[in-house]
Amino acid sequence: MLRAASGPRRRCFRCCAVRAAVRSVHPDDMLSRSRCLTRSLGRSISALRQGNRALARRARHQVSSSQCVSVKSGPSCETRSSVYQIRYFNTTTAHRNEVITVKTPAFAESVTEGDVRWEKAVGDTVSEDEVVCEIETDKTSVQVPSPAAGVIEELLVPDGGKVEGGTPLFKLKKGAGAAKTTAAAPPPAAETPPPPAPPAAAAAPVGGPIPTSMPPVPPVPAQPIQSKPVSAIKPTAAPAAAAADPDAGAKAARSEHRVKMNRMRLRIAQRLKEAQNTCAMLTTFNEVDMSNITQMRTQYKDAFLKKHGIKLGFMSAFVKAAAYALTDQPAVNAVIDDTTKEIVYRDYVDISVAVATPKGLVVPVIRGVEGMNFADIEKTINELGEKARKNELAVEDMDGGTFTISNGGVFGSMFGTPIINPPQSAILGMHGIFDRPVAIAGKVEIRPMMYVALTYDHRLIDGREAVTFLRKIKSVVEDPRVLLLDM
Amino acid sequence: MILRLLNRACVLSGSVRLKSTLSTFFDEMGKSGIILKSATTGIFENLALEDWIHDHVDLQNRSMLLSWRNSPAVVIGRHQNPWQECNLPLMRRLGIPLARRRSGGGTVFHDFGNINMTFFISKKKYDRHRNLKVITSALKALRPDLEVAATDRFDILLNGHYKISGTAAKLGRTSAYHHCTLLCSVDRSVLSSVLKSNTSEVIKSNATPSVPSPVRNLLDVDPTLDSDTIMNAVASQYSNEFGFDGPVITVDPSHEALMPGIHKMAQDLQMWEWIYGRTPKFSVCSSLVVDDVTVKLDMDIKNGAVEQCAMEIPEDWLPSEMVNEFTSALNGSKYCPNEAAVLVAAFTRTVSVTADVAEKIHRLCAGVVSVM
Repeated sequence: MLRAASGPRRRCFRCCAVRAAVRSVHPDDMLSRSRCLTRSLGRSISALRQGNRALARRARHQVSSSQCVSVKSGPSCETRSSVYQIRYFNTTTAHRNEVITVKTPAFAESVTEGDVRWEKAVGDTVSEDEVVCEIETDKTSVQVPSPAAGVIEELLVPDGGKVEGGTPLFKLKKGAGAAKTTAAAPPPAAETPPPPAPPAAAAAPVGGPIPTSMPPVPPVPAQPIQSKPVSAIKPTAAPAAAAADPDAGAKAARSEHRVKMNRMRLRIAQRLKEAQNTCAMLTTFNEVDMSNITQMRTQYKDAFLKKHGIKLGFMSAFVKAAAYALTDQPAVNAVIDDTTKEIVYRDYVDISVAVATPKGLVVPVIRGVEGMNFADIEKTINELGEKARKNELAVEDMDGGTFTISNGGVFGSMFGTPIINPPQSAILGMHGIFDRPVAIAGKVEIRPMMYVALTYDHRLIDGREAVTFLRKIKSVVEDPRVLLLDM
Repeated sequence: MILRLLNRACVLSGSVRLKSTLSTFFDEMGKSGIILKSATTGIFENLALEDWIHDHVDLQNRSMLLSWRNSPAVVIGRHQNPWQECNLPLMRRLGIPLARRRSGGGTVFHDFGNINMTFFISKKKYDRHRNLKVITSALKALRPDLEVAATDRFDILLNGHYKISGTAAKLGRTSAYHHCTLLCSVDRSVLSSVLKSNTSEVIKSNATPSVPSPVRNLLDVDPTLDSDTIMNAVASQYSNEFGFDGPVITVDPSHEALMPGIHKMAQDLQMWEWIYGRTPKFSVCSSLVVDDVTVKLDMDIKNGAVEQCAMEIPEDWLPSEMVNEFTSALNGSKYCPNEAAVLVAAFTRTVSVTADVAEKIHRLCAGVVSVM
């Protein structure tokens, strides 16, 4: 340390000597300047030892100003208005918990001030050169990277606050912040909207938790003595850094993080469980030979597209089949009102189609299917899809429904039991179409087969009705002419 | 030793083959200035192209001009609030996408009648006035009696009054880019209706505001000035100004092999978290009228998600527990009509309500969604 301290002094003597050679310098002047230098140097070293930042900063400035006096030769004499000057005095190994203050960089083109927009929050681990915030000045966006790897300790300017070149921006605690354990910001209260009534095999993708909140920034303290601010949110940072556990790095991947269930999710879970407890739920299965409907689709898809402007899919066949079967077996379209102990029979058929979207499960309703043909159904499905894409789906589009169809087949499910979507009485689960050998008229043939499942409330629908219902769906899909003949 | 050398040589040639990206192509060209033109009209692909060039091309001794046009889109600045800047319901109806660029500045409307020009250069030689002078000189060279001039706010004004170009810029570590629009034949009626927010009075935010100005198309003052003529004029003026010559190179931003990583950049720009989630914290305070009943709505939105939601509804219209449940259902959800609708639909499924209460909840939801 002493050697480092004497270094600049020696060099500056040389510089001053050079100047003295060039022109006459008052000897006292030179001596006093060098004395000033050593005094300020000594002060800054002791200040550092005490961990007294503000004083060190002031001392640093004094050092820099006195260094300015000497000839600009060599990087040691050059002024640096950034934090790197502190490194100059610390010739010992890098301090683990050193906190540095990063300042606003100078602006280009004589711009004076800008607005700060934070990218990272207090407690975030940043790597060297990672963007911590952006400053918007006069239509220009300037990124402020982190000078070193570490953990953000304090943000000195609120989001949107004005800064000028040189204004202190944030405090960074240097050193590799513990990777995963410090990610435990206060567990975000909510996830993105939870999926209602998940039917079979529908792996509803859940959106990520809301990013860490930024706490209110304390005002920059006026007094010189400043204790190291211990962020209330990051109690794990200190022990993690101090632990110096060699296994910490390797074990970091085993942490867990907790996310509080939001109210919607709790309610839906409750409702689902309630439905499961009150309904006598069971499932009946059947299989559907998809060859005829596939052939019909292949034959008519181009003409259909030309006439109606939309693609002909399989959903319309199943929706129409379900509507037909529901009008035939009204008990499946009814629901038990537990509060009044009545069975509510409905003479309209509104079919909810469960759709897995990137945002979660969405259940739009096709209303009045009993009066629609395949083309109408496809048009409605298409319209709902468009609305969802354009972000225009309304509550009315998703509320209600007397029966649900869920298609687990899009994910490749072969077989499964869907769960009833309260307050309905039954749900049809479609699964994947796979080629299977089946017995047709005494011979083995390979047909594209789909398993279908009907989960129903046995309090209302008895076994015979459920099986008949499912067989009706099977017969319509296997041969749509059944609809015309009303068989 | 020889083996090692051989290995190294092999590895080198392998990596050289892989590294024939656009940036090495430019390096090999050895020119000090390059003019590019984008082959697509997708806003996200073009923004991704800008970012890719900014990140990957060495601009220390080179300057580049990229000109591009887009199908109709609204582009907001890095730190702006889309709900404050444009009419989102109208955009959804018209199918006009919203994009957020990485540079600062205000909101603009793009369509085929608008030319975008991006000037890439090293940070040391960054000079926006010089770039704008290229444009104004090019226009004056085409039509000497055209009165166009750049202001000190880096706009270009026609006849001293109408804005025909707006500027935004981004300063990276060693290089920078400055881009600007140029109105040639933009649909002005769509522009003015789309850039007028329907909810700006109810929003309180410290996001960067746009400064609205009266606009004009260059085509209005001179019907012979079309986009291609202008682009060629600017290209030749740029070559003169920056002292090089060469052909205009057309770049296709969907060419992943030539520009590795560009596809992901375009995807990132389309994510909800980027476009809407990057909005600085703001609050909405509105009085809705639903069924002749006045509902006071207060929401705090952070990162595009509702942080806090409170509603004041007369007790006789809807019971307060129901209102509390409704607001708590919205808490934590994205500030987005679809999400709100999904949540409320799920909410109505979990409470057993009579038909008319369900109707009221529907209409209340419609009212809340009208400010999203």
